[in-house]
Amino acid sequence: MSEAPDLSEAEAFAAEHALGVLDARERAEAEIRMAKEPAFAAEVEAWRHRLSPMLDAIEPVPAPQGVWTRIEAMLPANDNSAVMNKLRFWRNSAVGGFALAAASLAGVVVQVTQPPPVAVQAPVAAPGQLLNASLTSTTGQPQPLFVAAYDPDRKALIITSLLPAGADRDKVNQLWLIAGQDKPRSLGLIEPGKAKIIALPLEVMAKMSAGAKLAVSIEPEGGSQSPDGPSGPVIGLGELSRL
Amino acid sequence: MAAAATTPEILSSLMTRIASGEREALRQLYQATSAKLFGVCLRILSDREESEDVLQDVFVTIWRRADRFDVTRASVMTWLSTIARNRSIDRLRARGPLAYAGTIDGLEIPDGADSAETLLSAADDRNKLQGCLSELDDRTQTVIRTAFFEGVTYETLARNMDAPLGTVKSWIRRGLAKLKGCLQS
Repeated sequence: MSEAPDLSEAEAFAAEHALGVLDARERAEAEIRMAKEPAFAAEVEAWRHRLSPMLDAIEPVPAPQGVWTRIEAMLPANDNSAVMNKLRFWRNSAVGGFALAAASLAGVVVQVTQPPPVAVQAPVAAPGQLLNASLTSTTGQPQPLFVAAYDPDRKALIITSLLPAGADRDKVNQLWLIAGQDKPRSLGLIEPGKAKIIALPLEVMAKMSAGAKLAVSIEPEGGSQSPDGPSGPVIGLGELSRL
Repeated sequence: MAAAATTPEILSSLMTRIASGEREALRQLYQATSAKLFGVCLRILSDREESEDVLQDVFVTIWRRADRFDVTRASVMTWLSTIARNRSIDRLRARGPLAYAGTIDGLEIPDGADSAETLLSAADDRNKLQGCLSELDDRTQTVIRTAFFEGVTYETLARNMDAPLGTVKSWIRRGLAKLKGCLQS
């Protein structure tokens, strides 16, 4: 194996991150890149996998009594609330770059882990169906910048920003719904790197259908200056579609 | 630890149950894997108390992030061991730069060639990686193993080996490229 082709710069960086030789600043850079570039994240995973057999050689050592009791005491009680689970699932699916596969799986997971409650209340008007959207850059980059899921049961839109947290401090990101011929309707402000659950009034829910679009614009603090829609540049755009 | 009947399939199904919030599944995963993961922590930290803390942290992390585990991309054991290794290395780094002083000289890493496999995972992968590592020259092998088990940066490696940073970097990069080629063949 004397002649192996050199690794590309991106792969070498991914391999170095998996190996652990980068300094703190470079590590942070690699983490951000993993969040933004699914291909890079997959490269790091592949290297972790290649190197991990070194760990297999380590002898097991029984952990002392009492560790499990301490772990159990630390488990968050409500960590499996349905919305948070779905939300993390969405974020994960986008970061991992398996958005499509994960989206089809998400439907299954949701159905399995959440049998629909038997309706005892009065019927709710037009709950609609689960929809999702992946908002990509308007400049043609394929990676999603935001992912959104509309859950009619919860009457909410769950939106996750995949931008680095803390980016662009004196600007805000504003989310818009563009349905049919209506002018864009603001659904509120979202924070870079964070997820948000936006409760939707019934009249907005009625507009949430496959084909409607979601967009995010960059606006001055306080949101768009225009009554008719975004006043700043639109950075992400995506169409709602069925799971 | 009754890990005898643990297969990758059982671990995968435990992960699915953990992702949906089932504590009993986490307890079973703990029974099946904690000894292995504790071994990983101890190997890196060489300190029982710190290893217990990290092990605890690892399982709380698994509980929170089980839904991020993707069965199509990684084996459960790889994922768990990687978390244990990364957390241990974070802890090691938090001790400060002195922790690395003099770790290269006389570095001895048991290759575990005779160790019994507790979990029925990837013995072939292990042998293959061992084989490919052993095809590298000694120095490259040593820096790669040291980096992996101790999380030492290029800078520290260069200082400890008294070699220019760029040189150490090119040893490692070339070594990794060879390793990849060998693993693929």
